[in-house]
Amino acid sequence: MTVIRFIFDSVREMFRGPREYFIWLLALGLIVLFGIWRYSEQITEGLVVTGMSDQVSWGFYISNFAFLVGIAAAAVLLVIPAYIFDRKDVKDVVLVGEGMAVAAVTMAILFVIADLGRPDRLWHMLPGIGRFHWPVSLLAWDVLVLSVYFLLNLAIPFYVLYSRYRGREPKFRLYFPFVVIAMFWAISIHTVTAFLFSANPARPFWHTALLGPRFIASAFASGPALIIITLQIVRKLTSYHVSQTVIDLLALIMTTALQISLFFVGAELFTDFYNEGAHAASIHYLFFGLGGFSSLKAWIWFALALNLTALVILMIHPLRRKTVMLNIACVMTFIGIWIEKGMGLVIPGFVPTPLGEIFEYAPTSVELSVAAGIWAFGILVFTLLAKAVIAVEQGKLSHQSPQKQRYTL
Amino acid sequence: MNSIILQCMVCVISLVALQAAAQESPDSSQPLRFEGYPGASEFTVVPRKDGLFFYPGGQCHEAMEPNPEIRTLNTMHDAEIEHGRGRIWCLSCHNLEDRNYLNTLLNELVDFDESHLVCGGCHANRHKDWYFGAHGKRVSNWQGDRTLYNCTHCHNPHKPAIEARAPKPAPPVRAGLKREQGTEHHKSSIWDAKEEHEEQ
Amino acid sequence: MSNESNSGNGGGKFDQARRNFLRGIGLGTAAAVAQPAWGGQTFQDTFADFFQKDYRRMSAEEIEAALERIERKAEARYGVEIDCQNTLPQPGVVYGYAINISRCKGYRDCVHACVKENNLGRDSQVQYIRVLQLDQGDFNLEHSDHYYEPETVPVEGKHYLPVQCMQCDDPPCVKACPVEATWMEPDGIVVVDYDWCIGCRYCMAACPYWARHFNWTVPEIPAEEMNTNTHYLGNRPRPRGVVEKCHFCIHRTRKGQQPACMEACPTGSRIFGNLLDPDSEIRYVLANKQVFRLKEDLGTEPKFWYFSD
Repeated sequence: MTVIRFIFDSVREMFRGPREYFIWLLALGLIVLFGIWRYSEQITEGLVVTGMSDQVSWGFYISNFAFLVGIAAAAVLLVIPAYIFDRKDVKDVVLVGEGMAVAAVTMAILFVIADLGRPDRLWHMLPGIGRFHWPVSLLAWDVLVLSVYFLLNLAIPFYVLYSRYRGREPKFRLYFPFVVIAMFWAISIHTVTAFLFSANPARPFWHTALLGPRFIASAFASGPALIIITLQIVRKLTSYHVSQTVIDLLALIMTTALQISLFFVGAELFTDFYNEGAHAASIHYLFFGLGGFSSLKAWIWFALALNLTALVILMIHPLRRKTVMLNIACVMTFIGIWIEKGMGLVIPGFVPTPLGEIFEYAPTSVELSVAAGIWAFGILVFTLLAKAVIAVEQGKLSHQSPQKQRYTL
Repeated sequence: MNSIILQCMVCVISLVALQAAAQESPDSSQPLRFEGYPGASEFTVVPRKDGLFFYPGGQCHEAMEPNPEIRTLNTMHDAEIEHGRGRIWCLSCHNLEDRNYLNTLLNELVDFDESHLVCGGCHANRHKDWYFGAHGKRVSNWQGDRTLYNCTHCHNPHKPAIEARAPKPAPPVRAGLKREQGTEHHKSSIWDAKEEHEEQ
Repeated sequence: MSNESNSGNGGGKFDQARRNFLRGIGLGTAAAVAQPAWGGQTFQDTFADFFQKDYRRMSAEEIEAALERIERKAEARYGVEIDCQNTLPQPGVVYGYAINISRCKGYRDCVHACVKENNLGRDSQVQYIRVLQLDQGDFNLEHSDHYYEPETVPVEGKHYLPVQCMQCDDPPCVKACPVEATWMEPDGIVVVDYDWCIGCRYCMAACPYWARHFNWTVPEIPAEEMNTNTHYLGNRPRPRGVVEKCHFCIHRTRKGQQPACMEACPTGSRIFGNLLDPDSEIRYVLANKQVFRLKEDLGTEPKFWYFSD
């Protein structure tokens, strides 16, 4: 069976490479193990080892989850130009982007599982033997769209790569419908994640129709930022050709998205602060502190400063075209959005509580360690996928000459 | 057509009932039997007499001459009656002749177990709420037997305001976490700000 | 399979803190502290617990077996023989609650009666009722003081507002749950199947009344204070990692008794009864008093009213 040989060859390829490559894998693996070890603490003691409380019942885990769904969705920014506009340069790297989507969804799902009080009961969600509260529960929606998105982003590259492996061109009519579905699905995963929050009138900070658009805009800024950096790393470390035009395209998308994202933030700030009602308490806490509590204040201003600086760099064309400046802007955007859409979005929703109590949250070392483990796992997954993808794309792996290829790098 | 007949019948019946009630002149030698508010569910009242220190008061007062004069009491009773702030006197509620009974404003005798009838003379709205369960306290059940605490179980009739007492402990926070003391973040009242302004 | 025997010696920092805490409240034995939440007595019990169906899909026999397992587990964990029942809702009854806020003096008697009655974890520190202290002339909950501790209450110039689960008729928490582990019973009580909840805490984010609480650790209850009269959907000992909430003392009210908070209230501020009975006390209040509901604008239709007179 060619399929089995394809998988076998791909997996082999994943674990082949120079010594630096193995050191990289090992380092990631060690962080993953460390995360698992700290997670075992959480399993034996309960979520009491986290900083979460009845007052702030979601914390660092869900913050990362919200952010990562955005990264996953951003892969669509490569999918659309590659498959719809048929751009050859983008097509070359689209599979790398989809690998990133798979890794990001994996991390997002792991963050939700890490947040569960009873991960042993996860099967309660399975339709049939469990009860899947779909279509009423937004969380059920999220599980559904994330799982399907995960499968789509596995299936499409798998088919395309498998065709390459067999030395054939992938059949357009076979994969194109799924590409179209995946496009809309990418938007849906992040919209549903935004709806997960905005569906709660109990939390005025989240309960805004702008949250969905804001999520998409910030995802389309932070996602390309990560892809731009990643593609440059791929270009540097491998012989794989990454066209500069792809990076230029992504930088342009990112610039626009960041403009829109910051405009949305501004709109939110205006609406809440012009007539500062009870609904503004959370945003007041976030930006200025409330009742003597202000642990997020420094973070959000930092994030805002990062995003604004990045925007300035991106909007001045000569600066954006300088690789160094572009990379600085990308790192700034990535961190800025991570703070803004992560802790900056999730935590203030709980402060003050619906009964007006102000109780602060700070992640514990267990949460930070588990999160580090999950991030390392995601990067590990991406590394392995990208390794196989690049090998196939370069024609190093093919069923016609497996023996010959096996011993060259 | 039917409804008019029905209405007439209702009128006639209620007239008859009213007349009957009027003819039943209250017998002042018997404890008053208050028929209650129409529509209130049946209930019994938790007896009060067992809990009364001075009851039956007739034993002491038998030997004394009834004295209706308003004066400062220098006996074993509460010297001050805070209830009514000087507008009522012992005999507003207690019967002059028979200390084992209370009396209403109309001088009808009331048993100590039925003291709510006395209270209701002035506090008619509260009394009605108590009958229907919007005031006071019902014993143990929401369903089935309806037993109510009497007014005087909770309110000292000579000093009816409920006294302040210490609250139970404040809520804790989740094990392993600590509650930081915040600053007073609520705005002061509008009048506080105004007063401060005037002081300046 | 059941790994409860060894995990107690894990001895994390937290364990230590918890032991200290327990010692602090005068509980001598910490032996039962760190048992895993899914620790059944025997392999069969553990197995049956794991594969237990959700409450609404269990047959009468399966519920009976589950109740017996709950009793065995309580015996093992707390050394107390409890009676866990499954009293069904009464037909023609929907519960409603009203609080007279001009009567409430802020004593918090209801809060502590509830803790005892419902076997709330003394360690996990859950309380179903919060009494808020507010300035007179102010009803903004964000200005409320939850932790007031004056010499005596009521404090002059303040008023008090007890808040607990409103048993909404259109409960957002029920909509939120991804596994249908929480639902509204025919008598209007919103309950949680503690054996079905996966602990995602989305319901806690969805609740506008902060009525839902999470077992961050195994709830610890001093054996001598355990209320042995329990209900599957109510005050039975809860496992770790699941959400719980006020259930209008389902084990009492379904038998015609008052909820513990109402019985404990020394001021008679609390009025409870059947909303479907036009002669009930609660209906008299709704018809004759100016009532309001907290955050009514959110459209959750709370079955919990406030009034003053």
